[in-house]
Amino acid sequence: MRPRKRKPFESGSLADEAADRIATIIEAAERAAAKVIDDAEVQAREELENAQARADRLAAARLRELADELDPQVHLSTAPQPRLRPVESVEVEPSVDGAGATPRRAGSAGARLLATQMAVSGSSREEIEERLRSGFDIEDTSEILDAILGPEE
Amino acid sequence: MNLTDLQALEERYLMRTYRRAPVEFVRGEGALLWDAEGREYLDFLAGISVCSVGHCHPAVVDAVREQAGRLMHVSNLFYTEPMVRLAERLSESSLAGRVFFSNSGAEANECAIKVARKHAHRRGVEAPEIVSFKRDFHGRTYGALAATPKLAENEDLGPMLPGFRSVPLNDAGALRAVVGERTAAVLIEPIQGEAGVYPVTDETLLAAREACDKVGALLIFDEIQTGMGRTGSLWAYEQTPVRPDVLTTAKALGGGMPIGACVTTPEAGEVLEPGDHASTFAGGPVVGAGALAVLDTVDDPALLRRVRELGASLREDLLALDGVREVRGRGLMLGVGLDEGIDAGALGAALLESGLIVNVPEPGTIRLLPPLTIDPTQIERAVALIGDSLLSCSPT
Repeated sequence: MRPRKRKPFESGSLADEAADRIATIIEAAERAAAKVIDDAEVQAREELENAQARADRLAAARLRELADELDPQVHLSTAPQPRLRPVESVEVEPSVDGAGATPRRAGSAGARLLATQMAVSGSSREEIEERLRSGFDIEDTSEILDAILGPEE
Repeated sequence: MNLTDLQALEERYLMRTYRRAPVEFVRGEGALLWDAEGREYLDFLAGISVCSVGHCHPAVVDAVREQAGRLMHVSNLFYTEPMVRLAERLSESSLAGRVFFSNSGAEANECAIKVARKHAHRRGVEAPEIVSFKRDFHGRTYGALAATPKLAENEDLGPMLPGFRSVPLNDAGALRAVVGERTAAVLIEPIQGEAGVYPVTDETLLAAREACDKVGALLIFDEIQTGMGRTGSLWAYEQTPVRPDVLTTAKALGGGMPIGACVTTPEAGEVLEPGDHASTFAGGPVVGAGALAVLDTVDDPALLRRVRELGASLREDLLALDGVREVRGRGLMLGVGLDEGIDAGALGAALLESGLIVNVPEPGTIRLLPPLTIDPTQIERAVALIGDSLLSCSPT
């Protein structure tokens, strides 16, 4: 086979053409690389979201189990059992209207159940803390919060 | 047909059970409604907490349209997927037991009352009693009506169903005193809605739980108004120190489609058996599909957090207004207590005139139940309108 006859060398236009082609190739390569990076980021985000959702589901399931432990259910076939662990009695001032008040104390089953249920429903540590303070007059809420949400970092 | 024509037909053909405001609504979108003359209203009532995802939420509309075009009704003698999937969602998001579907909140409470009475009979109670709070509202069917003390006083509708007692709201001592061996259930609205938005205190809820446990009675939460995200958690009980054995839901569950549900713990779910209860339309595929779309929207931590945040800022803004004495409630279920001398009825009418829809549940209170999806700027607009109208309605 005879070698193909080459066109006469036209230095200016050929160089420009080559430069254009190289630029196009580089541009395409950059686009492809960017797309690969974008795809990887999207995939990573999805993986992260899925992992987060799985973690949330596991945490919610665990918190529900905790709530169940705090609120053991009564079997209909058996004699009635207390649902909540008994709240220790403490002396309280009678209410103005004469209504008997339920004792409040730090760490009561009610407070723990409240915190657990709020955590299950997505409330923040601050929201739960505020509710424990206002509803149960608990000064140091860290024990309950740490037990349910884990220690603060 | 204009409003005058409608009123004439109403006068001729409809029973006189409602006092309607003289407005005909023809369109809704999000938190906005439009009347027949094209006037826009900001809806802070949401069909009494029904349209919590806003009017005509696209996902609900699509789900209902799609299902209505495929299958509308077959009765409860057969299976349909939306009903079963909805039962799973409701159970797994709350008490983990069984679900009975109904067409309304009152009917959901009827089911709860049946569960409680039969549960009590199994304990050997011959004449079971249901205890509720004065000014509670549980519905207008006879069982629910009997548990609604104020309405049950209407002797013209008597005789009422026996076996219902009531105690003053938040009187834990009275509650403990009245709950005894004959008690089948304590039926509670965690936040009284129709009465004017009055929350039950933690102390009272704990007393109710303990009293029920002591005798083996069931604690029932009527979450017809408080549920489905209204208070900033999917269920209001999640922000209380107790868990009920049974909860009832309706209103927002269908996003405008008529549906109610009675949800139980696993144990309470075993009480009713074939033949004990039934409903022809309940849990049909169209309302089921709509409710699933509502749950998809509402059962979202981000939305629920937003409800809590918007509710807190709305409360703060309202308290800053002249004429507002107190703001009660939780999340986006708020009762605005007005200064003495301010006519809440006149305020409600003035607000309607200015394009804001609110409800007046009692003299001295306006109730706000905006869609949970409401925009913060719409809340600002509502607060401004309330502030302006309060100025014009305040005694000089």
